[in-house]
Amino acid sequence: MSAAPQPSLKLMQDQEVFGELLHSLSQPLTSLRCSLELSIDEVAERQQATVSVALQQTEKVIGMIQLMRDYLDAEQPGSEAGPVPLAPAVRVVVEELASIAELRGIKLLLAGSCTAHLPLPEPRLRLALQYLLAALIQTALVNSEITLQLEEGSSESVLRVECGNGARLRDCAQSPHSKRDSVSGTLGSVRLAVACRVLETAGAFLAIKDGNRAGFVLRIPRWLATSSTPA
Amino acid sequence: MRILIVEDDAALSGFLRKGLEAEHHAVDTAHEGSQGRAMALEFDYDLVVLDLNLPGMDGLAVLKSVRQHKTNLPVMILTARSRVEDRVQCLDSGADDYLVKPFSFLELSARVRVLLRRKQLPSELVLTVRDLSLDRVQHRVERAGRYIELTTKEYALLEYLMRNSGRRVTRAMIIEHVWNMNFDSTTNVVDVYINYLRRKVDDGFSPALIHTVRGVGYQLSPEGASA
Repeated sequence: MSAAPQPSLKLMQDQEVFGELLHSLSQPLTSLRCSLELSIDEVAERQQATVSVALQQTEKVIGMIQLMRDYLDAEQPGSEAGPVPLAPAVRVVVEELASIAELRGIKLLLAGSCTAHLPLPEPRLRLALQYLLAALIQTALVNSEITLQLEEGSSESVLRVECGNGARLRDCAQSPHSKRDSVSGTLGSVRLAVACRVLETAGAFLAIKDGNRAGFVLRIPRWLATSSTPA
Repeated sequence: MRILIVEDDAALSGFLRKGLEAEHHAVDTAHEGSQGRAMALEFDYDLVVLDLNLPGMDGLAVLKSVRQHKTNLPVMILTARSRVEDRVQCLDSGADDYLVKPFSFLELSARVRVLLRRKQLPSELVLTVRDLSLDRVQHRVERAGRYIELTTKEYALLEYLMRNSGRRVTRAMIIEHVWNMNFDSTTNVVDVYINYLRRKVDDGFSPALIHTVRGVGYQLSPEGASA
């Protein structure tokens, strides 16, 4: 008697494996975080510092998990995806980060306009722009200016972001701030990678420049703007 | 207030129960979807905290069923799914709020209060803590009758602290709600802005209202920090 052919087991793809692992990690981490938050008031004063450090370390791990999620989500189109206009998203991010830039004496100057749209959920576009601009702010010289110029060309829309006095984006992992916190510094370069993946998956082109005229140039081809603009 | 937690992870469910009971809520727990659905429909709860990934009947099915029978019962979803479209699906299915794991208990507690308050009252137009008042319509802040001029970010930060008056808020919560960012840019922006606010709101007045909570964050309270 011949056995009926058995269907082969379909193994998970990389994306699914990492997604499942992150999903599974989030459960015990929630318990850990909540238990530390609740116990900080209950332990004796001499132990509070220990619990506090444990809580801070847990929050760092959670930050890394969030970044991994962002990285994985970057390739998901999303049923509610865009099209999202670029110019208002840039304006919002500049407003959000202006006060942080100001603390380092950095001015954010936004000019121009464009009609480009990107096929992305709005929060994902905003997140990518936040990551890029935050990295520049973090590595730019104090008391400098960062200009953001939106342009409408014949074949593409462009966002040029430039740091007047230069920035050392390649040193994101060793920025002055990260000396006291190397994990956050390392994450700065991961955030750049996430931003790049988000924007390029949506069909835009991102070039990141380092050195004297450090910054980035985001190009959105006309065909992309046209194909994703609502009728 | 009476709260139902439907969460299959016993450890997490236990911590949430402990935390919410410490805030004087009566808490019931269910560890399985159909059990949670039955309890939500049978008993009179003020709020349901519902995990999406449940054995038996999944959280979305529980939510839809509860929504059919109890249209006004606030439901907060807990989930490990963070994508925008997951959030949209939950809100479209009738959830009132959505919290992504691994969340902070302090964040959950703040949102529970918002949902419970929304059930009782429309949002307050003027927030008051002792002699400090913030008019959300006029965007005007006064302490002891004296006008205090604030920048946009200082105003947003003070409003957030006053909305959570008497409760601890972490730096991460402040960054998320006031700066609309979910990551720490490694600047000390929260601490700096808290100092700006202290100079304007507390200097020259008594008692101090803005307190540092060691190892956690900050708290605006007339009685001093609770930890």
